[in-house]
Amino acid sequence: MCQRGHCSPDSLLGPLAVVIKWSGNKYNVEVDPTQPGVVLKMQLFSLTGVAPERQKIMVKGGVLKDDADISKLGWKEGQQLMMMGSAGELPAAPQQKAVFVEDLTDAEVAQALKLPAGLTNMGNTCYMNATLQCLRAIPELQGAMVKMSGTRSGDARDNLTSSMRALFEQLESSGSAVPPLVFLQVLRTAFPQFGEMDRSGYMQQDAEECWGQIIHVLGEKVPGLTREGDINTEKHFVEQYMTGEFLTSMTCDEAPEEGTTTGIESFNKLRVSIGSGVSTYMLTDIAKGLEEKIEKNSPTLERSAVYTKKAKISRLPAYLAMNFVRFQWKADIKAKAKILKRVVFPHDLDVSELCTLELQEKLRPAKLRIKEVEEAKSAERKAKKARLDNGTATAEDAMDVDTPAVSGASAIAEVEKMKEIGVDPSLYQDVGANVSGQYELVAVLTHVGRAADSGHYIGWVKHKDNQWWKFDDDKVSQVAPEDIDKLAGGGDWHSAYIALYKSKRIE
Amino acid sequence: MTAPPPAKPEDEQPKDAAKNEKGKDAKGKPLTEEEKKKLEEEEELSEEDKQLREELEMLVERLKESNTDLHKPTLETLRTLIRTSTSSMTAVPKPLKFLRPHYQTVVDVYQKWPDGDNKRFLADILSVLSMSFSEDGKRESLRYRFKGSSESAGSWGHEYVRHLALELIGEYSAFDEADTVEKTDALLDKEDILKLALELVPFLLKHNAEADAVDLLVELEALVHLPQFVDKDTYSRVCLYLLSCVQFVSPPDDIECLTTAHTIYRHQEKHTQALQVSMRMQDQQMIQEDFNNCPDLLMKKQLAFLLARQQLSIETEDEEIQEILNNSRLSEHFLALGRDLNVMEPKAPEDIYKTHLEGNRSTVGGGNVDSAKQNLAATFVNAFVNAGFGSDKLMTATEDGSWIYKNKDHGMMSAAASLGAILLWDVETGLTQIDKYLYSQEDHIKAGALLAIGLVNAGVRNESDPALALLSEYVDNTNSGLRIAAIVALGIAYAGTGREDVGELLSPLVGDYKLSMEISSLATLSLGLIFVGQMNGDIISAAMHTLMGDREDADLKDPYAIYMGLGLALLHLGKQSQADATLAALEVMGNSLAKTILVLVDTCAYAGTGNVLSIQRMLHYCNDHIDPEKENDRFQAFAVIGIALIAMGEDIGTEMALRSFNHLMHYGEPVIRRAVPLALGLLCASNPLVHVLDVLSKYSHDNDQDVSTNAIFAMGLVGAGTNNARLAQMLRQLAAYYQTEANHLFVVRIAQGLVHLGKGTLTLNPFHSNRTLLSPVAVAGLMVNLVAFTDTKNLIFARGHYLLYHLIISAYPRLLMTLDEQLKPFPVTVRVGQAVDVVGQAGRPKTITGFQTHSTPVLLAYTERAELASEEWLSLASVLEGFVILKKNPEWEEEEADGAGK
Repeated sequence: MCQRGHCSPDSLLGPLAVVIKWSGNKYNVEVDPTQPGVVLKMQLFSLTGVAPERQKIMVKGGVLKDDADISKLGWKEGQQLMMMGSAGELPAAPQQKAVFVEDLTDAEVAQALKLPAGLTNMGNTCYMNATLQCLRAIPELQGAMVKMSGTRSGDARDNLTSSMRALFEQLESSGSAVPPLVFLQVLRTAFPQFGEMDRSGYMQQDAEECWGQIIHVLGEKVPGLTREGDINTEKHFVEQYMTGEFLTSMTCDEAPEEGTTTGIESFNKLRVSIGSGVSTYMLTDIAKGLEEKIEKNSPTLERSAVYTKKAKISRLPAYLAMNFVRFQWKADIKAKAKILKRVVFPHDLDVSELCTLELQEKLRPAKLRIKEVEEAKSAERKAKKARLDNGTATAEDAMDVDTPAVSGASAIAEVEKMKEIGVDPSLYQDVGANVSGQYELVAVLTHVGRAADSGHYIGWVKHKDNQWWKFDDDKVSQVAPEDIDKLAGGGDWHSAYIALYKSKRIE
Repeated sequence: MTAPPPAKPEDEQPKDAAKNEKGKDAKGKPLTEEEKKKLEEEEELSEEDKQLREELEMLVERLKESNTDLHKPTLETLRTLIRTSTSSMTAVPKPLKFLRPHYQTVVDVYQKWPDGDNKRFLADILSVLSMSFSEDGKRESLRYRFKGSSESAGSWGHEYVRHLALELIGEYSAFDEADTVEKTDALLDKEDILKLALELVPFLLKHNAEADAVDLLVELEALVHLPQFVDKDTYSRVCLYLLSCVQFVSPPDDIECLTTAHTIYRHQEKHTQALQVSMRMQDQQMIQEDFNNCPDLLMKKQLAFLLARQQLSIETEDEEIQEILNNSRLSEHFLALGRDLNVMEPKAPEDIYKTHLEGNRSTVGGGNVDSAKQNLAATFVNAFVNAGFGSDKLMTATEDGSWIYKNKDHGMMSAAASLGAILLWDVETGLTQIDKYLYSQEDHIKAGALLAIGLVNAGVRNESDPALALLSEYVDNTNSGLRIAAIVALGIAYAGTGREDVGELLSPLVGDYKLSMEISSLATLSLGLIFVGQMNGDIISAAMHTLMGDREDADLKDPYAIYMGLGLALLHLGKQSQADATLAALEVMGNSLAKTILVLVDTCAYAGTGNVLSIQRMLHYCNDHIDPEKENDRFQAFAVIGIALIAMGEDIGTEMALRSFNHLMHYGEPVIRRAVPLALGLLCASNPLVHVLDVLSKYSHDNDQDVSTNAIFAMGLVGAGTNNARLAQMLRQLAAYYQTEANHLFVVRIAQGLVHLGKGTLTLNPFHSNRTLLSPVAVAGLMVNLVAFTDTKNLIFARGHYLLYHLIISAYPRLLMTLDEQLKPFPVTVRVGQAVDVVGQAGRPKTITGFQTHSTPVLLAYTERAELASEEWLSLASVLEGFVILKKNPEWEEEEADGAGK
């Protein structure tokens, strides 16, 4: 190695031209080998804007140090060097820390995902869990139950409503699955048949029966609501919101001269009698069931004769339950056999054709209004899609605004709207009645398996457009509307047993 | 392979037996008169044949007579008759048939005659006759041949030469037997045998029977003599046959085959082929010689491309060649390919997942919660898909690196490191982009940046040596995260280079028992990568000492400890019996890891050789049913992977391995079943065979979680870089199926990313150059991942996910790019089709089938081969793969002129 001063004149030769490569560019720099490395770095700073402390110039065995003796590095004329370094701002950590689903507890996850809570299976209680989850799709029922007075008492039926209210409240606040201990206990006390046991424990029950019994108790115990959403103790909730009326007419086939006797019957659900025909559409199956032949004693003939009984709906409730009669008692095998046939049910339902002519007339204005609004909406959606495709969407377009919850105020506004479009006063004054004959599907209770007392029940509840919850006991997941369509039956997949429809809102 | 394996004497026995059956009556017991008559009555002879028989009988009679004058003309007539007899290949020629009853007579005559020309002449004829009458094992033809006049054997026809060759082999192998039993005086001298063999070889070579010629010399252990007989017309077929034999002969014959092929290529001045053989032998000195002996500069550049593909480096003065060897322009060429294929647009993970096709669009509901696991998966998918393209939608799209913070803790490391994969091979721009994360306050990000530096430099070398310069100071960092990142990065950056200075930096870490086992093990792994297949003695002894006793038993139970074993094994990659010393040492080592490592070293040593004995040994390991509670049964997993490692790259072996795996899956212990999908992934990397996909698809629904995750990962490996639509659909279905299983979904995403590796332009298969050469670095990269997946719980699903980046060193563009003499991309039309095996086929068979015509650059699938569409250009490379230099064919005449004339 040559020491400075003893060197031959060659190596003392002044500036050395080197090429620095940085970020895909080349910089020609003249280096004075007698100066330390920091001088070169300053030169490069002026060329590249990379601060000297950030400059990393690759030399043999490491990066160029500030105090390095360049003359000792053995650089040649035209030496190519590589530099690494960033000019300008460095990336900073974001202000808001990302939240990871893995760090959250189950409850927090459910909250973050807005996943509703499920119900724990207490041993073959899926029939009950599914029923309860479907009933939760009626927000007005919860509203009424919250406001009603009622404490624990000796009456099992009173306890049923209060424990159901408590359970619903618990479900509302909990993130994880809730065990319906109290409710189950009360249910079994009130209806001992649900406490039936066999060797392996409690037996599976028919969800439709459970549904019917619960509705029955609710019908007795839960008070009605006023239009503003307050308690109306003169009425009952189920009567208002879940009960419809038939206008029945009966004519005797064998003695038409006997005339028609009419009557009024109420109903909590419409039966979809699958066995009766080849039809595979829910509405036609219902229509078929509304006309039946019965045998009864004819006063004129003085013997039993065949009568044709026709029923037309004269009042539509806000919530309409459809019961698919999938189970038939088969005497020969002494069991309820399941009809697996596929029955298509729509997401949007128009039942006006099942109504009396008088009611149909009354429903017309609201029906037209709903059609108009829907058309306008779909036109808007199309326009929005076009805007999105063109890339000119605004922030508001991208955000779908959730439909606001039903509150007293909006209910009043709805009545105003009804008045405006000329809905018959008898309809809008009737709290809990449907005014348009138009329904949307909000919940489906399905059964999978070959018999009512076995298999598995699941509740499917609509959350918002294009989003449904699947309540498989404690497992809650999100599903798409297409998955609901698959519940029509026709195979061994889950098939609809009860479908709950809700009146469409008038906007 | 359709070529017949080299003929072994045993194989021929049935044929001989059949022959003997026919001629049984003729020798041994003489026939009685009655029998003779019967025979005659049975055979209805034509006039012509009768005449021939009578003539022959007359000639034999004449030989018996004492009149010696007549003998000579008689013999000549006999010879003419035998030689001119033309009959079908399957039947015994007529004269031989008619002479059958008189064979013994002629033998008697021969013995009576005094020595002389006539006797020698008769010996010649007897030699031919013995071909069909001689008793099995006596090799009479050969014996008479040596007593005969030594005139050219070829004049008696092809069948005779073949027969002689066969008897030569039999005679030669009798020596070995004689050694053990007793010396028989009937044996001929070895020299004589060789002399005769060398007379036969030119005849065989000339008559399209190079397989027989090669077999003969292989059996006589005399391949050295082959090159002198091979000329420019025969060399290609001879070498092709020799090279395809390598996998079927036992050592040391395989090396002999390779060296012979190499010598022939050298003689014929086929530099690229010669170099390929040297590379296959991993002989550094031969490679150096091949390279230096090449007189043509342009050809030298082509050789440099071949060496660069195998990631071998050679010192050279020429800057341009150095640039090729450094792979400096790989990034540039790869981007040119990307532009040509119109795949430059960066892809986001969602473009790969296509969740809208999954059928279930609801994995995560609210948009404000991120899943760290799924974001980590997206990080890897993004890195794999955009690898080498330099731009993406998560990391380089924004300056602020916000995506990194969408990852959690150690996930940030992989996120920052993904930059290195995206900017792969583009060192200059890459380093600038990575630099800003080196100042991060967050150690995970800083560690990721270090790893990124390693990744950017993977497979490319640079004069300024930035990886070593930047990383060396972190190797001793007090922060173990940064330290590990630097160690792993060095391994990735210098894989296969054998760089001593990097080795010196890392070696002390191996034996330092004060360090955590994780650091020591990963340092060994990095050393294994850097010196892959180079048997570096210092490192081996350091690792062995650590394993033998310097470490506590608890340390050996560390999940990373297995990487010390893998590092050790990689050092022996492809070294075959040279690994015996290490194996012997491991054999006596008593600790819990010893057997596992033993299997790893054993299988790595025979990687890609198709060695049947090794495979059998591995299958034997799988036989044991071990209680995992009492004994470490992990070695069985590596035995299974080892079967794939040994058998891969060779079609018959692959088929057999697939069959074995099927059995293991049915009857094996859980530890074996879990390894089978991984083995399938290795066996068919980037080669999506439909039946393998179906099998993996089945395993991907297995009840054993490890089996299913491994199967899903294997699906990614099998389809890596192919964009296989069928596989993509399977994986989408799996994503829907496992949407609630976070770990499964993670692996499904990784597999999806792998299928679209480099947007379908990269391959992970370690074989290249017509599937003859094995890239040790690529094997090593795959092995690191397979080992990680044998312990997913503690590695991939824990902190070790960055190990997935080792796949990047296995990735290489599966392209054919043609370059002109200035090394500029030069498009020509090529035909691309399925490769056809032409070994041992007569004439000039088509090498591809079902081809399509493309303009270069073009992508090649694993089983595809390309050929130039016109003869206007000549390729300097023998295999059209990777980068190929073209030059104008001096004999090419423009056809256009004729067309214009019309």
